[in-house]
Amino acid sequence: MSRLGRIRGQVNADWRSFVRRRTAVFFTFFFPVILIVIFGALVRTDPTGGGLFAEQPAFYVPAYLAVVVLFTPFSRLGSEVARHREGNRFEKLATTPLSRREWLLAQTLVNALIICLASVLILALVVALTGASIVYHPILVAYIFAGVVCFCGIGAMLGSYADSQDGAIAASNALGFPLLFLSETFVSLEQLPGWFEPLVNFSPLTYFARGVRAATYPEATTGTAGVAGLDPVVANIVVLAVLGVVTFLLGARSIPRTD
Amino acid sequence: MNAGEYADGGPLEPVVDAEGLEKTYGETVALSSVSLSVDQGTVFGLLGPNGAGKTTLVRALTGTTDLDSGSVRILGNEPRAVDRNRISVLPQAFSPPDRLTARELLAYYASLYDEARDPERVLADVGLAEDGDTWYENLSGGQQRRVCVGAAISNDPDLLFLDEPTTGIDPAGRRTVWGLLEALAERGTTIILTTHDMAEAEHLADRVGLLADGRLVATGTPSTLIAEHGGSSRLTVDLETDTESGPSATASTTDDSNLEPPSLERARDAVAHFEYATTREKEALVIHDVPPARIGAVVDALEDGDVAYNGLSWAEPNLEDVYLAVAGDSERRGTMQPTTLEGRASTAGDAR
Repeated sequence: MSRLGRIRGQVNADWRSFVRRRTAVFFTFFFPVILIVIFGALVRTDPTGGGLFAEQPAFYVPAYLAVVVLFTPFSRLGSEVARHREGNRFEKLATTPLSRREWLLAQTLVNALIICLASVLILALVVALTGASIVYHPILVAYIFAGVVCFCGIGAMLGSYADSQDGAIAASNALGFPLLFLSETFVSLEQLPGWFEPLVNFSPLTYFARGVRAATYPEATTGTAGVAGLDPVVANIVVLAVLGVVTFLLGARSIPRTD
Repeated sequence: MNAGEYADGGPLEPVVDAEGLEKTYGETVALSSVSLSVDQGTVFGLLGPNGAGKTTLVRALTGTTDLDSGSVRILGNEPRAVDRNRISVLPQAFSPPDRLTARELLAYYASLYDEARDPERVLADVGLAEDGDTWYENLSGGQQRRVCVGAAISNDPDLLFLDEPTTGIDPAGRRTVWGLLEALAERGTTIILTTHDMAEAEHLADRVGLLADGRLVATGTPSTLIAEHGGSSRLTVDLETDTESGPSATASTTDDSNLEPPSLERARDAVAHFEYATTREKEALVIHDVPPARIGAVVDALEDGDVAYNGLSWAEPNLEDVYLAVAGDSERRGTMQPTTLEGRASTAGDAR
């Protein structure tokens, strides 16, 4: 069996395992939906007033997408790595030809498929419930994939360094919520203290949000910064892709192969 | 070319060759000066009490733990450098994805190797052809373990490590797994097996190693170990109690009494001329080292001595006696000091 065959076998097993956990499937899709309903339909944006939701609805599309791009890999990879470790599955896999990078790639592909489906649902709901007017730029797929790669790598690290499934989930929530709200997603840079800006730039999700916003909402007056004077749509995907490669390699390296 | 076979057709090198393995977890010594070698096509059984270091030794041999010191070569390479298509491991507390069917699990593990056995064939081999479409989590504990054994043999490995493979499997299923492992060994697969089941080790293993407190305290063939450490054969005469044989009984028959009941005294007297050692076990007289050919003579002597008994049983020593003698000693003393008995590891090298 080739490398491709091994990855295909792992993807098949992971996909079947996921879709047979009905609760996991339901809440994977329900979580972003409930956020859109709360923020988009109930709280609603108020472009003329102050406060948190002072931008046009389209401004927040990256934020709603970020809910699944960030949280699904964090929670799934974190708990999957912990579950594998507790069931001695890595001890078994360490003695098969499947490498740690191949295992993580298979997990990433399954997450990418789940998140692409969830993203379609999110875009449809955002447009239907908030009346957002967005551009369906094809580079959106690349952003989602790069984001999934990046956060799967970090999720793998969380699962590897946490001592249990519960610990991995708690760690993913503790890291995920600050990232979600402080990466130019729901809260614009202008609403944060000046000293906080370097920390925003440290978050991979910032480049996802800026690039997706620049691609889907070209009229945005803020939250679309580029890098080194390059077009923000291109510049941010490059940064996100580089961060994705780095975190993927670190994530794969963190996966245990010994006791 | 088979495992360890030199290109010039020369002698085979061991499939497993470990020297001076040391491993500690904090203050706990998991492995201490363990050395062993295992030849191709043989089944090596690792026995020992809980916490003796069996699982750590398997992990050391498969490269899934970092040793403090020592060297391991399997199939002529360091464990992490060996072609992973040629080895397979069944970890002790292994739990595969539980919402895949038995058939899907075997297909999944087969997909990880360059070449693998037909999952349908493996499913039949482990006796689960009828349950192939049942999710792993819905199988019984024994059936789950059989799926795990199936996963371990899916690549038809040259070297197979099984950490307590038949735990939780019913006697019939255990026989199925034993047959499977015997067939693999006959085809040249080298098997390292850890078990608490003495019958399993005696049935399957060509050689056995006894681990206690992280030390390999004895190695050898089961028959050698039994001969050296198993003690004597036992002819047990289950005597009628004196209350059963008549109202005249006066002596206590409790085990802790210094006074022997008359029935026991009569039995001892009846066999005294044979000069076999005798011991008392509750209401029974145990006569040691009676060869099978002499059992009839002993029975005649008991009859001539008017000894009333309920039954007779004769048993040869087995691996359990060896286990209790060697590992049990260790458990009682807390540590096992190497001895100079042949077959017992006086030094790391002697254990090989």
